[in-house]
Amino acid sequence: MKAIKLAFPIVLLIISGIFLIASFNVPKANLGNPNGPLYFPIGLSALMLIFCIGYFFQELKNLQKEDDYIRLLIAGRTPKLILVTVLLGIGYAFIFEQTGFLIATILFLGALLFFINGVKKWKANIIVSLCFSFITWYAFSQLLGVSLP
Amino acid sequence: MDINSFINGLMTSLEPINIMWVIIGGILGTIVGMLPGLGPATAVAVLIPVTFGMEPVSAIILMAAIYYGAMYGGSRSSILLNTPGDGSAIAATFDGYPMAKKGQAGQALAISAVASFIGGIMAVIGFIFLAMPLADFALKFGPAEYFLLMLLTLSAIVSLSLGRMVKGFIAMLLGLLLSTVGIDTQTGVYRFTMGVPHLSDGIDFLIVIIGVYAIGEVLYNFLTIDHEKKEKKEVGKIWFTKEQWKRSKWPILRSGPLGFIIGVLPGAGGSIASMISYSTEKQISKKPEEFGEGAVEGLAAPESANNAASVGAMIPLLTMGIPGSGTTAVMLGALIMLGLRPGPLLFENQPEIAWTLINSMFLGNIALVIVNILLVGLLIKILDTPAKVLYPIIVLLAFIGTYTLSYNVIDFFLLLIFGVFGLFMKVFDFPIAPLVLALIVGADMEQNFRKALLSSNGSLDIFVSTPVSIGLVILTLISLFYPLVIKAFKKKKSNNLDQSSTS
Repeated sequence: MKAIKLAFPIVLLIISGIFLIASFNVPKANLGNPNGPLYFPIGLSALMLIFCIGYFFQELKNLQKEDDYIRLLIAGRTPKLILVTVLLGIGYAFIFEQTGFLIATILFLGALLFFINGVKKWKANIIVSLCFSFITWYAFSQLLGVSLP
Repeated sequence: MDINSFINGLMTSLEPINIMWVIIGGILGTIVGMLPGLGPATAVAVLIPVTFGMEPVSAIILMAAIYYGAMYGGSRSSILLNTPGDGSAIAATFDGYPMAKKGQAGQALAISAVASFIGGIMAVIGFIFLAMPLADFALKFGPAEYFLLMLLTLSAIVSLSLGRMVKGFIAMLLGLLLSTVGIDTQTGVYRFTMGVPHLSDGIDFLIVIIGVYAIGEVLYNFLTIDHEKKEKKEVGKIWFTKEQWKRSKWPILRSGPLGFIIGVLPGAGGSIASMISYSTEKQISKKPEEFGEGAVEGLAAPESANNAASVGAMIPLLTMGIPGSGTTAVMLGALIMLGLRPGPLLFENQPEIAWTLINSMFLGNIALVIVNILLVGLLIKILDTPAKVLYPIIVLLAFIGTYTLSYNVIDFFLLLIFGVFGLFMKVFDFPIAPLVLALIVGADMEQNFRKALLSSNGSLDIFVSTPVSIGLVILTLISLFYPLVIKAFKKKKSNNLDQSSTS
């Protein structure tokens, strides 16, 4: 719990640090004020770093306090649900253009439903994934004229 | 008010196709808005792709209808499940759910729909009279005033993140930093693109919006997905008694204008409007002890206020191009994508679009009150849909919406990154609106800042050179320091009380 409580402030600290360093490496402009493109990012990332340091110490002070949402985040099957959804999303990105919208979507939605809704409800999962994939394909590609692979 | 434009707008909004979009948008918004945990911002974000390929005027009508439809829908789950769709529907749980527990769910749904309708109509009337003067006023703004106005909006939205200002500032600064990714439009310099050509146009804010609102929201709902489902209360006959109307009418009429004014203010929105109207009615009520126990006026007042606020929030969006809330920021993103640039020039160059939208709000509110009374029995069946089926569908819609933005699957990865980031923001209690708002106005804010400095040869005096800019600076300072002063004042008061009780 404590490690997770500090993880997010640390991630934010790293993000602001990276932005600050990268801001100094932004090329100078050939037009107008050479430092024009630098001022805004440098100012913002420096300010963000200051606020992130403040936030980090705030969290450090409250490290012993129980947090219901963080507890729920790491309890039961929640982490697995989040991880599998993200992994399936990555898989969807890889097969989307290779297999085409309809097949990729049936596979993605089906897998997501089987994992979230459970194997026991296989009939509902198959019906929903088939029907919904077809409806969205028809609505976007035929009715709205969106070009889908 | 320009009567010709108003009449033209009325005629366009009465075209069958536009009436159809108002009704479809209202129903879609009501459905998504009533799903527990999903509010108007998510409704608009998920349904953005539906507007692709449409005429801009139809698209803006549909988008607005989804927005206020979601406001109507948000209170359905508050009343029946004690689970608000979003912050602005929280106040509806205070007396709406106790009414449902007493077997008055039908009355509660009807009074909430009628209160929302009256609040909405009052706000549209206010909109008609306020829009043009504000747009004319905004036309006089130069880059310095625009920069300061955006700064005021951002500082107001951060300072209204009650008790979590540091987190609000971090979210806002991150949004502003993300807006700097891509080619700098003034100099052509590449910033933070990491050699990825896809990033040279910047990070599409719609991906961030869909990521944090749709994917982030679904991932966040995974935290409680296996918890026992709340029992839905029986609805019964959907109408209210004469006595209930007598008790509600004045609270509704008082809360409409109040909600409208709060909605127009930057940073404030439906949540604050409904809370203030609820506490005001409780304070002036002859029976304050009944509030929280199913007092019908305790439901009617916030419902009127939050719907009026949702219309009011569209004023700064349309007249100045500055969104005052998370949902209107999402709408601005969608409008920009459709090639529309809300702001004072919208009323100057495309008055038909602005006035058609305003008139469509009248029709939308009429359609929604009918839908929410006649079809509510059918619509609330949606609440029976298992969340475990619903969430995968929302995830899929988010992916399809993202693909249609640039037809590039690289954006799927960005969507997932911002989805997970949105989840952590919610878990760690970060406000999302400052991030989204800053990301959308960030590029304009920087360009206006630099243009202002260019015109003054680098002198910062330009930001205090006119009465408007001085006023904006003062308001920004007040919005930033007011919460700190109030906090210090309360602390001092409680210390004094402690001392007097010990002595």
